[in-house]
Amino acid sequence: MIDRQLILHMNWAMLALVVLLFAIGVLNLYSASAYRIGEGTTLTPFYNKQLVWGLVGAAAMGLVMLFDYRHLKLAAWYVYAVALILLVCVHFWGTSIYGAQRWLSFGFFSFQPSEMVKISALILTAYILSRIEHPLNFNDLGKIFVIAIIPVLLVIKQPDLGSGLMILFLIGGIVLYHGIDKKLSKVLLVLVPLHLPLGWFFLHDYQKTRLLSFLDPTQDPLGSGYHLIQSQIAVGSGGFWGKGFMEGTQSQLRFLPEKHTDFAFSVFGEEWGFAGAIILLLLFCVFLYQILSVSQEAKDRFGSLICVGVFFYFFWQVLVNMGMVLGLLPVVGIPLPFISYGGTSAMVNFIMVGLVLNISMRRYMFKS
Amino acid sequence: MSLLRKRSLPSERLAFNFLLFLVGALFCVLALRLWFLQVYKGDYYLQKAQDNLQRRQHIYAPRGLFLDRDGSLLAVNEPSYSLALVREDAPDIERTLKQISKWTGMPLEELSKEFGRGRRMVRSFENQILVSNLCFDVLARVETDAPYWPGVKVVVQPRRKYLQGEVLSHVLGYVAQANEQELAADPDLRLGDNVGKQGLEFAMEKTLRGRKGLKQLEVDASGRILREHTLVQPESGQDLYLSIDLDLQTYIFSVMQGKTGAVVVMDADSGQVLAMVSTPGYDNNKFVYGITGTQWTNLIENPHHPLRNRSIQNAYPPGSVFKPLMAALALEQPSIRAEEQIFCSGSYRLGNRVFRCWQGHGRVDMNRALVESCDTYFYQLGEKLGVDRISTFSLESGLGRQTGISLPFERSGLIPTREWKRQRFNDAWRGGDNLNLAIGQGFTQVTPLQMTRLTAAIANGGNLYRPSLLLDEKKLDPQPLPWKKETLEFIYQAMLDTVEKERGTARRLRTKDVQVGGKTGTAQVVRLMPEHKEDDPEAVEYWLRHHAWMISFAVNEDKRIAVTALVEHGGSGSSAAGPVIRDVYDFIFSGKQESPQAAIQDD
Repeated sequence: MIDRQLILHMNWAMLALVVLLFAIGVLNLYSASAYRIGEGTTLTPFYNKQLVWGLVGAAAMGLVMLFDYRHLKLAAWYVYAVALILLVCVHFWGTSIYGAQRWLSFGFFSFQPSEMVKISALILTAYILSRIEHPLNFNDLGKIFVIAIIPVLLVIKQPDLGSGLMILFLIGGIVLYHGIDKKLSKVLLVLVPLHLPLGWFFLHDYQKTRLLSFLDPTQDPLGSGYHLIQSQIAVGSGGFWGKGFMEGTQSQLRFLPEKHTDFAFSVFGEEWGFAGAIILLLLFCVFLYQILSVSQEAKDRFGSLICVGVFFYFFWQVLVNMGMVLGLLPVVGIPLPFISYGGTSAMVNFIMVGLVLNISMRRYMFKS
Repeated sequence: MSLLRKRSLPSERLAFNFLLFLVGALFCVLALRLWFLQVYKGDYYLQKAQDNLQRRQHIYAPRGLFLDRDGSLLAVNEPSYSLALVREDAPDIERTLKQISKWTGMPLEELSKEFGRGRRMVRSFENQILVSNLCFDVLARVETDAPYWPGVKVVVQPRRKYLQGEVLSHVLGYVAQANEQELAADPDLRLGDNVGKQGLEFAMEKTLRGRKGLKQLEVDASGRILREHTLVQPESGQDLYLSIDLDLQTYIFSVMQGKTGAVVVMDADSGQVLAMVSTPGYDNNKFVYGITGTQWTNLIENPHHPLRNRSIQNAYPPGSVFKPLMAALALEQPSIRAEEQIFCSGSYRLGNRVFRCWQGHGRVDMNRALVESCDTYFYQLGEKLGVDRISTFSLESGLGRQTGISLPFERSGLIPTREWKRQRFNDAWRGGDNLNLAIGQGFTQVTPLQMTRLTAAIANGGNLYRPSLLLDEKKLDPQPLPWKKETLEFIYQAMLDTVEKERGTARRLRTKDVQVGGKTGTAQVVRLMPEHKEDDPEAVEYWLRHHAWMISFAVNEDKRIAVTALVEHGGSGSSAAGPVIRDVYDFIFSGKQESPQAAIQDD
């Protein structure tokens, strides 16, 4: 199954970039897990756990690269169905952490079906769209919408608004990439803005206060506005060159909340300054560009659409997380890929990269 | 290669370009924002981050101590514990206040009011003191629970303690929490600080206070202190040695128990005040602890006004203690001679008004008139001399104006003039006014300290010193008494005679081996009915009784001192004020300070 051709066409640049991003993430986590007590510092073992997850993720990535991605067409519906079933199971047997029921525990490890659903919904959407060669009309969109909305609602119900919106935006991204016909686009242009305010009533109270405190963080600087304010202080106080590795006072003295997960980029910005942050941002943009390039080189539209899906998967996360850290967007629990701590998220990230690498190395293959 | 070419939709090619644009836009927007936060506003956020972790805290400077002339402690500082709140650290102010109320028993509304009142005056991340002077069981409770209540701090502040309490309350005054006007006027003051409000504490505030130090704390997000270092060392206030002799002061205070009045003892050669007693006293420590409403009302509504320092803040008609000054004025006139005699029949007639003397003295010259305090003699002097000369001379001799002692709120008293009477009563100065003025009655009002200063000048050869309470107070050149040398000698001798002569009114002051001079005074509060002329104090209602005066000096080889006693509503000067001065001299010259028990052991 593996032949020399595949190794030859391996996208080494993307692989190197991902490894680099992940290494930066672990290094940053090392600093973020430390906090000062008196004159000394203590470490909490986030960074080495992340390292383990990274290795597991890399293995999963390798596994994903082994088979020809076109076989996924056959499995698309089944994987989607399994993911949905697991998602339903979470509702009944899931474990609650921080009041949200997201985890399925299998004894030795626990796992979030919402992450699996991201992958399966992406593949299924790409599969369906690859068979439609005209701009989407009302019926096509309806079909996709149903496929998307079931997992989205289930995930939001957990509650995990961030992941739910992520799936919606990801699928929306692919759909818009594919294109919709003129009539439909006119209807959507009118309907979507009209229905946005309705979303307000579906938000939880804490989500509403987050939104409001985004609009005016100073209203409650110790409460809901605290994250936003402290994060901006952390990043801003880094200045041009940063305070230096392990020297960020905002993170070391724990003024910064959630510093190893959602706000890991604040720690990075504080310690490495504008110089470091801009380089990290640039790396992400190059990474996104690489994914787009693969989508153009892909041998078939299925592969191309998967790449677009993966592109959106990463694009939204970078946008929302960095936007939040820099105070441009409200606080939503979206991690920054490869930088934020999180086992499942690291796994999914690597699998997504694995898909793109898979498509990239098979770009010259003849139909077998 | 056409086989490899996948069929992509035209819209997808357009979309690819759009996605490239998205990536570019993402980079631009985030890069701009990063530049804005980190470069453009970098210093601002760096300051914010510093503010997060660095707290500045004042280090209290101990207030200067008060000591008496021999170094005995009068006012010291002791640690007191206050409960403070750092509002930025408290996640829920409402709940925290509720808890503080539970600890201290202070009503929640009062606390909230206090919190609201003070929060404008406290900077961010600074302690706002809410409850001062925690008692020990409250302190123990707060100390145990405080770790669970971020923002709650126990602050140690030095607190004033007056060791002798009411004995020196009028001299030392007191400190109490600065009020809003004081806080607004003085940038060095912080909410919860104590400032001098009365007495020397008030007058010497700047010297006593010292300067607060500053320390920088490094804290983490939960307010735990990681490091601290001192930026500015506190400078303690300057200690002050008083000219007061504590033993004498205490003794006089005990003698004056049960009497309302004032006693001033002055070193005649320097103007230093050795004792300044005003009774009743008050416990000035109560003000430091924060005086309660009822305590305050009790002090204010007490008819004897314990808060008032009677030696400088009350002025009384001098009565006969004014007579030496009248006699001196007469001697300054070429037309009047001391040997000239007049006849005292017990009254003096001016027009159709009769002015009484307290007894018929027969033929009296000036010396006898002073020694036996003959009113008739001074009525005729008053008629001859007139108000203009009398008032000018009195003011020049230090009466009716502030002495300049370093105590606040000193009254100047009053020496009447024609002009004054016209303005005050819209009435002309009349002959009878001259007569009243001459015997120290009528409108004239002087403070005991003014009389002491004048007596001291008579004893020291004519130098009016500015009375001082501090040992190292800068001496001003004394003002000369506008009296001729012969005049001074005559008055000095007459006051000695008042003590030494058989009929002298101050004969109870005779002291072995000491030259003592004196003059009694009995100042009418209201014009008495004839039946009270005999001046039986017990027969008259307290508030109508005369004020009893005695001025006196004592001279031996070591020292010259002047003593004044005033007993409000005490009756006659000789019988009410005399014994007080008698006791003072016994104490000073015979060493009566030994307690009776000690004396017995000596035997």
